[in-house]
Amino acid sequence: MTWIGRGIVFGLLAFIVLGPLANLVLWAAAEQWYFPHKLPVSYGTKFWEQVFKPRGDALASLMTSIWIALSTVAACLALAIPAGYALARLKLPWRTAILLAFLMPQAFPSLAVYINIARIFYDFKLNGTMFGVILVHTVHGLVFAVWITAAAFAAVDRDLELAARNLGGSALRTFLTVSLPLAAPGIMASAIFVFLESLDEFTGTFFVGVPDVITLPLLMFTASIAGNYQIAAITALVLLVPSVAFMLVIERFLKADVLSKVGA
Amino acid sequence: MKTKVALLAFAAALAATPAIAQKINLNVVTAGDQNMVDYVKDFLAPQFEKNNPNATVKAVGTGPGDAGSQKIAEKLQAQKSQSAWDVDVAVIHQKMAGDLVREGLLAPYVRDVSTGRLVTSEASKNALGTNVTGYVIPMFQSQTAIAWNPTLVKAPPKNYDELAAWAKANPRKFGYNGIKGGMSGVAFVVGWVYANTPDSDRLMKGPYDAATKANWDGALGKLKEFNRTVVITPGNAGTLDMLNRGEIAMGPVWVDMFYTWMADGKLPPNMRLQLIGPGMPGQPMYYVIPAKAANMAAAKKFVEMATSPQVQAEGIVKKFNWYPGIDAQHVKAQLDDKTWNKLFVDVTPQELAAKGKTFPIKPYFDDILESYERKVLN
Amino acid sequence: MRDSGRLGPLLVAPALLMVLALFVYPLGYSLVTAFEAKGGGFTFGNFAKAFEFYSVDIGFTLVIVGLSTLLIALASIAIGGYLTLGENPRAVALLRWLYRWPLFIPFVVAAQCMRSFLAKNGLMNNTFVALGILEVDQTTGFLDWRGIVITFVWKQTPFVALLVAGAMASLDRSTIEAARNLGATRLRILFEILVPQVMPTLVVGLILSFVTMMSVLSVPLMISGESPTMMTVDMAFRINNYGDYGTANALGFISYLMTAACAWFYLKRSIR
Repeated sequence: MTWIGRGIVFGLLAFIVLGPLANLVLWAAAEQWYFPHKLPVSYGTKFWEQVFKPRGDALASLMTSIWIALSTVAACLALAIPAGYALARLKLPWRTAILLAFLMPQAFPSLAVYINIARIFYDFKLNGTMFGVILVHTVHGLVFAVWITAAAFAAVDRDLELAARNLGGSALRTFLTVSLPLAAPGIMASAIFVFLESLDEFTGTFFVGVPDVITLPLLMFTASIAGNYQIAAITALVLLVPSVAFMLVIERFLKADVLSKVGA
Repeated sequence: MKTKVALLAFAAALAATPAIAQKINLNVVTAGDQNMVDYVKDFLAPQFEKNNPNATVKAVGTGPGDAGSQKIAEKLQAQKSQSAWDVDVAVIHQKMAGDLVREGLLAPYVRDVSTGRLVTSEASKNALGTNVTGYVIPMFQSQTAIAWNPTLVKAPPKNYDELAAWAKANPRKFGYNGIKGGMSGVAFVVGWVYANTPDSDRLMKGPYDAATKANWDGALGKLKEFNRTVVITPGNAGTLDMLNRGEIAMGPVWVDMFYTWMADGKLPPNMRLQLIGPGMPGQPMYYVIPAKAANMAAAKKFVEMATSPQVQAEGIVKKFNWYPGIDAQHVKAQLDDKTWNKLFVDVTPQELAAKGKTFPIKPYFDDILESYERKVLN
Repeated sequence: MRDSGRLGPLLVAPALLMVLALFVYPLGYSLVTAFEAKGGGFTFGNFAKAFEFYSVDIGFTLVIVGLSTLLIALASIAIGGYLTLGENPRAVALLRWLYRWPLFIPFVVAAQCMRSFLAKNGLMNNTFVALGILEVDQTTGFLDWRGIVITFVWKQTPFVALLVAGAMASLDRSTIEAARNLGATRLRILFEILVPQVMPTLVVGLILSFVTMMSVLSVPLMISGESPTMMTVDMAFRINNYGDYGTANALGFISYLMTAACAWFYLKRSIR
């Protein structure tokens, strides 16, 4: 294939992949943009000021989103590290069934489930609370957390653990000083994954959180539906920053041998 | 023993502190588009907080259309058994107001606020067939009309039949949001049914007869045909957005949203409105106070302030381009002629009186929406 | 290492309970409520209503998600194939950098991008007009079911491509070399040697994508005006406007059936 041919194909691909993103950036920088102009009529930071004003919704939603995401990560790790270790190293009855149970949230379209969670939460007065939203995000994140953590622990060289036990260390001490540090990169990766999933989560929060808990994705959605494209674009960019940062860093944490053990 | 006495004394002292000195968080929950939330947050809240320094107003929006009001109803229903509810003031649509009054979830507060005597309209007494006297004060009266672009449309249609013909001749140049994205589309559909069935007065006033909906097959069939020639937009704002970008030349809009978007530079200044015959619906949104609101006194003060002639003039008419909720003469006295008349540039008071309709009574309203889903969408 | 056999289940229990309580239980609730009449009791009425109101949307959901899955499969194979068989290292590196961008964009943001990108006078059409490919009045907006397909394909392809490329990279290169030596074209190698061997991975990726797409609410809500649209929008509409859990759960049940059917179909094909 000549470079001209390659050029056209890659040009098209770049347009397809980066075009919509470029559109977002343009709207974030635009102040006025209407037909028939192909590019914004005027650029400016007026809408950035509006989005980030102290009494504004965006900062509050950002704080809400981050707080929920951090809590979700904490909850997920607290649940997934023991579970992952058990799945990787310990005897478990019905091991396949348990693995399948953890796969369930990914196997069923979750919208109907969210609708019913909201209804159940009504009875427990959890609807519209941060705690309720954190619970929903945690279940959603557990799938990844457990599978990746299990793979991370499985990838730790058994000989190292055996050596530590032979030297007289207890099971707990071995876990804390050998297994956990060695599995740390994989666990970090799953933590970041869970964080991002929670930050970007929309559907569950739409049913369980509204109208009291407004996360950044919900704010973006409302702005978009109301036709406020500038505000929607700016909030979208704020949402993207952690995701893109993760994408650029992911190589370091998810080594090939960890990935290959996912699903083992 | 001494500590016990001290503690008791402390508690008594606390309890004796007058309530007004305590910090109050007033929860105002409003259905409707973002402009409603902005109205509470940016206009009403600062004024109320200035006059009541111990109060903070928290404004929450539940979204446009009946879904937003449904969310508020669900919140109240979920708290039914508790002694104090977390919604102090709510702004809801007519349909839900009727339901909530019947379920006993609202307080009959109108007799306790001074502005109650300033509103005598039919809308303040009757919500789609349910008697709501004493429970509601209209926040504003809104009206839908067809927005049209003079550069793309030479002469706007005068009624629904002409509109259908125009849409057929100019495919995909008319747009509305169906019944799912917002109330402007719902209003359009209701207007269509009024125009294409013989007995629209009965739809608006009752009595209800379940057999009536069988007569709508012809009208709905024509609407299905019509839908093939038009664009379905993603919501109230979606219609305005497409009008702005010149993607459609005409579409139903709320008069207030139309003027607000134009003032914000989001709509070309040469756009016009046309209220087509035999009429298009409008609706009030109501201020209501839940029966067990946690801050009942502050809630009443809030509504009193929001329905005072000055606030109605400054906020409702001047800033947000709505028709006032309390009787017009009280508000008109507070404004100069120019500001008052800007509401009536394209839609004159006579046209409003003749062609501004109400929505149908609730059972008919539900029937229309269901029939649309069954016959037009499927 | 002495393993009492009791520690394992104990460590797994909290996480398992979480999933059981907050997913499996509501799932069961959903399945049961689908058959529940308004006053209690067993009925098929919800399904009748769902079909009466939303048969078009149910059909279209299948079309939208099916078409998207097909396009994703083709695109992923193409990308994976080029990454494995590409001759020019610079082009391969460029592709590897380029194709991953949509992977970490959440659906909400992707929908927002596409909302103004795909509009009649949006960036895409404006670019075509500026390049002289289209006239102004020839532009069409894609803000309907086609926009939904485009957004899904745009967002999910990198995920499946990542899996497929990884699987292809770990294949034994000797078969590829042998085929090249015998004079096979790269296209033939792709379809006759690579794809059959990565089929299991491809199928897993496609099934996961299918389920994901069936769960998404933001994309159809923001891109498509009304009908035909996806069932998720109708379910949200039933709940938010009417509190009609019966019909919404009936629609949910139908979506489970569709997913199960698709998974069964894919798995059967791949385990030939």
